[in-house]
Amino acid sequence: MKVGTVPESDARRLMVDYVHAIDDGRLSDWPAFFTDPCLYRITTRQNVEQGMPLSIMLCDSQAMLYDRVEAIESANVFEPHHYRHILSDSCATPVACDGLRLETSFICVRTMLDGRQSLFAAGVYRDHVVNVGGRCLFRSRTVVLDSPQVDTLLAIPL
Amino acid sequence: MIADISTKVSWPEEGVRRIPYGVYSTPEIYDREKSAIFRGPIWHFLGLEAQIPETGMYVLAQVGETSVIVVRQADGNVEALVNRCSHKGTPLVYLPQGKTSRFLCIYHNWCFALNGRMLSAAFERGVGGKGGMASTFKKEDNGLQKMRVHRISGLIFGTFSDATPPFEDYAGADLVANIKRVCGRPLRVLGQYSQKLPSNWKLYIENVKDPYHASILHAFNGVMKQDRLTMEGGIVMGSRGWSHISYSKMSTDAGDAVYKDKSLRSGEITAYGQGLRDTSMTDIWDDFGDGVSMTIQTVFPNFVLQQLRNSLAVRTIVPKGTHESELRWIAFGYEDDDERKLNGRLKQANMMGPAGLIAMEDGMIGGLVQRGIAGDLDKAAVVEMGGHGIEPIPGSRVSEGSVRGFWTGYRTLMGL
Repeated sequence: MKVGTVPESDARRLMVDYVHAIDDGRLSDWPAFFTDPCLYRITTRQNVEQGMPLSIMLCDSQAMLYDRVEAIESANVFEPHHYRHILSDSCATPVACDGLRLETSFICVRTMLDGRQSLFAAGVYRDHVVNVGGRCLFRSRTVVLDSPQVDTLLAIPL
Repeated sequence: MIADISTKVSWPEEGVRRIPYGVYSTPEIYDREKSAIFRGPIWHFLGLEAQIPETGMYVLAQVGETSVIVVRQADGNVEALVNRCSHKGTPLVYLPQGKTSRFLCIYHNWCFALNGRMLSAAFERGVGGKGGMASTFKKEDNGLQKMRVHRISGLIFGTFSDATPPFEDYAGADLVANIKRVCGRPLRVLGQYSQKLPSNWKLYIENVKDPYHASILHAFNGVMKQDRLTMEGGIVMGSRGWSHISYSKMSTDAGDAVYKDKSLRSGEITAYGQGLRDTSMTDIWDDFGDGVSMTIQTVFPNFVLQQLRNSLAVRTIVPKGTHESELRWIAFGYEDDDERKLNGRLKQANMMGPAGLIAMEDGMIGGLVQRGIAGDLDKAAVVEMGGHGIEPIPGSRVSEGSVRGFWTGYRTLMGL
């Protein structure tokens, strides 16, 4: 395998491993899915269509991802809950010199500890996946939410 | 006939240092708010001028239960038109924003100019000389209902009532000055989103007006020394105490010992002992040359102007029933921001919104309160920090005076 190429099967595996890490509650593993520097952001379809740069969440380095994990685990207060992501198959397009671009639809069900359960988010992952030392990582992952509205709060990353 | 809501909720004799829980969940109270507050003598935020720079551009605002089209006129003015065709009541606009040359109802093609004047109706003279509108029908009497509009530093406010005082008198000089301070330069909209909150709208606006909680509930604030009550700061009250500004200066904190001694959660958190790993979010600058790093301002009843360091935004809390509300955010910067400032504001926006490192808990706390009080609606909240009244304590934010100020205005309009 040439250094720097991203086999599609590895990229698809990355999609699955990522959501399982989050859904299983292994938030401290989350930053390790990204390069450093990187780009992770959550925005809305409305902001994308209007060319507006605002994000709901924005991290552009490993350090910022770890800061976010620490905030969620130690500082921020919210009712404990779990996510369950369901993914579509990914559309993959090679990037001229580096990696793959992928688009993957998702829905995410949120379950509170008392059993309240709702469709929390639907949208698309827009990813740039690269090969770093034989491992597939996100150079950028943009989460575009279909709805302009979030129910209550968004603590755990999508 | 107006129902006597005092039989549903009676205000405790202590006055505004008690808040009867019934005001957050009683349907009759909610119904009265629609007329007494949202159609009453208040100025309601409608949008930013920067959202509608060109003739015919519009945004939809929500004033109580009423959808309002906020539209730029050819002469540069802004009109606020009730989004309801004068024929059957169909909404004329059903997209949150857009651009048009006139408002055409999809139901029967009634057509209105950008200023709300009625232009035409389909088949108004009938077909082939038969039918058509009755001779009593006059287009000039059937234009769209309007709000009175006031614009200040790029913010658009509207009111339904003729009794609403001029905006400057309604808000007060200090609050007008802060609006000009934060919004007095050409604004650039950076984006928007909203939050569905599982609580009555008043639980959110109380939360905004309560600096007491800011560094306690929002541990990130305290840990990051973003906004602690030991910083130099204060509360400024607006006209009649109904509106407020809470402010602080970030370079004046000496509160580690206080926060540790009081057994506050934020003082005990050691995870950030070394501070943030990535400090780019704290790479801030003084936008206004006055050293004031945080201002949270309200305009009664439901508007918030936010300056969290360099993260600037307006928020409106829209009632959606007794137990639900929608918090609408618009983030902005300035037209002359360079790339560093633009990126700084976008990065600092991590503090605000549904995923806000600081604001996150505000989305939840009202819903928790609503659950907590559900079985005891005959009881009342105790709001005595800083005394009984609405006078600010000079140099202190350890007060709920601004919360009592909101309820002073609320009781006046509601007759409670």
